[in-house]
Amino acid sequence: MTLPSSEFYSRQILFRGIAQEGQLKLQAARVAIVGCGGTGSAIASLLARAGTGFLRIIDRDYVETSNLARQSLFDETDAAEFLPKAVAAARKLSQCNSGVDIEPQVADLAPDNVETLLADCSLIMDGTDNFETRYLINDFAVMKRLPWIYSAAVGSVGVTMNILPGETACLACMFPDSPRGALETCETSGILNAAVASIGALASAEALKFLTGAKSLMRRTLLSQDVWWNDYAEIPADTARADCRCCAQHEFPHLSGENRPHITLCGRNSVQIHEQRRTIDLGELEQRLLKQGAVRRNEFALRFWREPYELTLFPDGRAIIKGTTDVTVARSFYARFVSA
Amino acid sequence: MQVQVRLFANFRIGRFKEQMRDFPPGTSIRKAVEELGIDASQVGTVLVDSKYAKLDQELHENARLGIFPMVGGG
Repeated sequence: MTLPSSEFYSRQILFRGIAQEGQLKLQAARVAIVGCGGTGSAIASLLARAGTGFLRIIDRDYVETSNLARQSLFDETDAAEFLPKAVAAARKLSQCNSGVDIEPQVADLAPDNVETLLADCSLIMDGTDNFETRYLINDFAVMKRLPWIYSAAVGSVGVTMNILPGETACLACMFPDSPRGALETCETSGILNAAVASIGALASAEALKFLTGAKSLMRRTLLSQDVWWNDYAEIPADTARADCRCCAQHEFPHLSGENRPHITLCGRNSVQIHEQRRTIDLGELEQRLLKQGAVRRNEFALRFWREPYELTLFPDGRAIIKGTTDVTVARSFYARFVSA
Repeated sequence: MQVQVRLFANFRIGRFKEQMRDFPPGTSIRKAVEELGIDASQVGTVLVDSKYAKLDQELHENARLGIFPMVGGG
């Protein structure tokens, strides 16, 4: 194997932790990034620029103006065109480094596609904004003994943890119970762009260690840092919980879809409907909806406005309905204008 | 009884990093969490003397209690 462009990576190769040998390992690596918001954008950018050979970017959402202050891969044109984040990210990253293979997946990671989307990668990076998906990743990764890196941020605080199945604690060791109340989110508590960039950078450095064969240098703690209040702390995560349902009892309820709601809230004034898995002809639907309200379509999605709601529909039947958090209202809107 | 409480991440904001607190004997971790003004549903990891603990576990004299929140955004 030879390096595609020694000039591109020349300074990185000079760093002795990477060197030629590490760069070749990076070139052969396959990584999945689940979620491409603030942390996901930071991670994707760093791993693509570092020369990770294959990156699969999985995201269910589209670019909005409110993303642009912190989601570094997107711009105003992406928001105006309501491009899926996975597609917009892949375009941007290919311009940054044409030597890496970027595969966008406009999809909601779910029990029925987790094998297809994650199994052929050697590392999974967490860029999601919800624990439902993180527990799914954790169940799959522990069962398959695939390493993954948890990252999250809210306000000025970021947290991250390396999960090396069989060696460290897993997410269910650290957080055994699913959130029972509403956790703070970027929509409720705000988010500082430096917090996502910083925690994304820390997680990416851990990824580079793993991908270049420096696993022994990886952190075995749950780390938090607060970039506003200048605070940094860690707790040990080097031992699995003796009664962990994943590590010890080998129970993986999230893989079977247990406790998974058919409709999930996206954390803002929106409801996602993902129970209608079927192919939809967006062109045909556009013609039908033109009589009902304003419609726009691109090659990836259709958007339909009818006050006070905005529906974004993907070709697989998945939809995000903005303007309500009431599942019944969203279902009714979907049934009325898309399909019962 | 005296308990050394250590908070992490956004639990520190408006509270403290580390403090000695006095609780009645037999106080559960859940009760201590509530007394600290923390919603128990936001708690991710609880450590007592550096070992994993559960919210319904009772604290003991001179316990070292660590409380780490679930942080979910991205």
